[in-house]
Amino acid sequence: MAQPAPGDLSPVEAQLLRLADDEYVLAERYTEWQIFAPTPEADLALANIAQDEFGHARLWYDLLQDEFGYEEPDLLWERDPGNFVHSPLVELETPDGDWADTVVRSYLYDVAERLRLDALADSSFDPIADRVRKVQSEEGYHREHAQSWLDRLTGGGGDAHRRVQSAVDRLFPYALTLFAPTANEDEIVAAGVRTRALADVRADWLDEVVPYLESLDVVVPDPSAVSHPDEVGRDGSHTGDWAALHEEFTATYHELGFDDPATLRSENA
Amino acid sequence: MDIDDVKARAGPREFSPSDDLPLEYREAATRMLEFHANSEVMGGYLDKEFTRMAPSLDRKLACTAKCQDEIGHAQLLYRAAETLGVKTREEMLADLTNGDGKFLNCFHYPVDSWYEAPMIDFFVDGAAMRRQATLKDTSWEPYAHAMDKVCFEEGFHVKHGEDILRELMTSSKANQERTQEVFEDWWPRMLQFFGPTNDESTHNDFAQQVGLKTVSNDELRNSFLNMYMPKAEKYGLEIPESPRIFERDDGTMAVREDDLDWDEFWTIAKNDFEGSHEQIGSRRRRQEAVEWVRESMTDWETAGADSPQAAD
Repeated sequence: MAQPAPGDLSPVEAQLLRLADDEYVLAERYTEWQIFAPTPEADLALANIAQDEFGHARLWYDLLQDEFGYEEPDLLWERDPGNFVHSPLVELETPDGDWADTVVRSYLYDVAERLRLDALADSSFDPIADRVRKVQSEEGYHREHAQSWLDRLTGGGGDAHRRVQSAVDRLFPYALTLFAPTANEDEIVAAGVRTRALADVRADWLDEVVPYLESLDVVVPDPSAVSHPDEVGRDGSHTGDWAALHEEFTATYHELGFDDPATLRSENA
Repeated sequence: MDIDDVKARAGPREFSPSDDLPLEYREAATRMLEFHANSEVMGGYLDKEFTRMAPSLDRKLACTAKCQDEIGHAQLLYRAAETLGVKTREEMLADLTNGDGKFLNCFHYPVDSWYEAPMIDFFVDGAAMRRQATLKDTSWEPYAHAMDKVCFEEGFHVKHGEDILRELMTSSKANQERTQEVFEDWWPRMLQFFGPTNDESTHNDFAQQVGLKTVSNDELRNSFLNMYMPKAEKYGLEIPESPRIFERDDGTMAVREDDLDWDEFWTIAKNDFEGSHEQIGSRRRRQEAVEWVRESMTDWETAGADSPQAAD
């Protein structure tokens, strides 16, 4: 089986790949906090969230394997980095010790994720609709976690508030790429794979995140004035941070040269 | 209670926070728990490396789960230590960061390849399991209670570690050779994990008399050798010629302790080994990088925000 490439996919494949890649790459970034978070409780919470996101990625990658015949190496280990379609929001490297960056990214992503899942709950492709509920229940906890941290970081003013502001300035333009269409956007909606257009989901997202962040005295860039980053992810274009991350997480796979990636379903399912 | 009463009553799960225990007992129990909790944290510094390297999605999930468990164990053990009223968690974490906190010798050696994953996740964790299983019978009830959960979860980790070893040793010749090389580096460290037999001196003797420890270093190492030498051989690893292993009259295995590098062991025990500096330095840098978060939480709490619920 060839590896999936953006622009050459059925609507269901295109939708699944966006979901899976977003979750997988975000989880890689979350795991960078393992043991490094500010307190043991924060560490535990983030490890838990990383675990959930890898789990969701596996769920969507499994569907691509079961329904479309791909194998794990096609989807992860041997896929060309230019054929990944995650939003660059999730690939950006976290500045050293910048917990605010992680909390802001998590919040921007988790709200979008909830809206996206809502738009998939009645998918015409049953296997997607079936899995949405499980993912939704966990994502709710992620969003609460991010919001609780945002409330606290901005509540005391000072340095922490400035860091949140600077993370919003940096990440907001990249967050808008979450709603950038793939080549299949019209077909995805026409076929009912997703029941709402990305433009509508984006409008709802703005209606939620902008007032919330402003209520924390955080200035949000005017979306119509934001010039999108050149890299929008959905077409396979990515920032330099992605190449480095991709190289890191595939290096051992290539070094070992095993016949197949190990599966542990009996223990881990 | 005075110390003689403690020794007379000592037994599995005998003492709890409702007992009035002498400082000497509480300090000894704190020392053990703090060491144990610190080791969970510093083990995480090695294990997190394997998360990024994991060569399959399922392995990556298992590595992530393991790191999460270790943080949870540390949290549980610090809490059990705090119940002794000798030291707060903040004090223990501060000591770990500034280089005064002690932890297992094996976690003073940085790792940089997947071949090391089974050394930590199978052998070192397996050794830890030997010790932890006996601590279910420790006399400090909160410690024993923590061990129930820790041992249960460690069982999964060791099983995953064994599977990583099996996979490496049934793959290419090159992988098998690399695994053997790395095993030879780790083998003496694993044997030193339990400390020297003749260290039944200062802390251990007392710890056994008051029931904090129920089994000696020597017995634990025998138990490890009896169980893990056959497993190593089963997967095709060769036990190095040095240190020499021999069979005692009673059929149990033992190691010629003179063959091991005890200077290195004691340097590690003082946090003064090259790898100690590297690992503790890493801990310190990571903690300094997020110091601003902890400070901002203090500001937030003193600002008297109206919803003091934890984010975690």
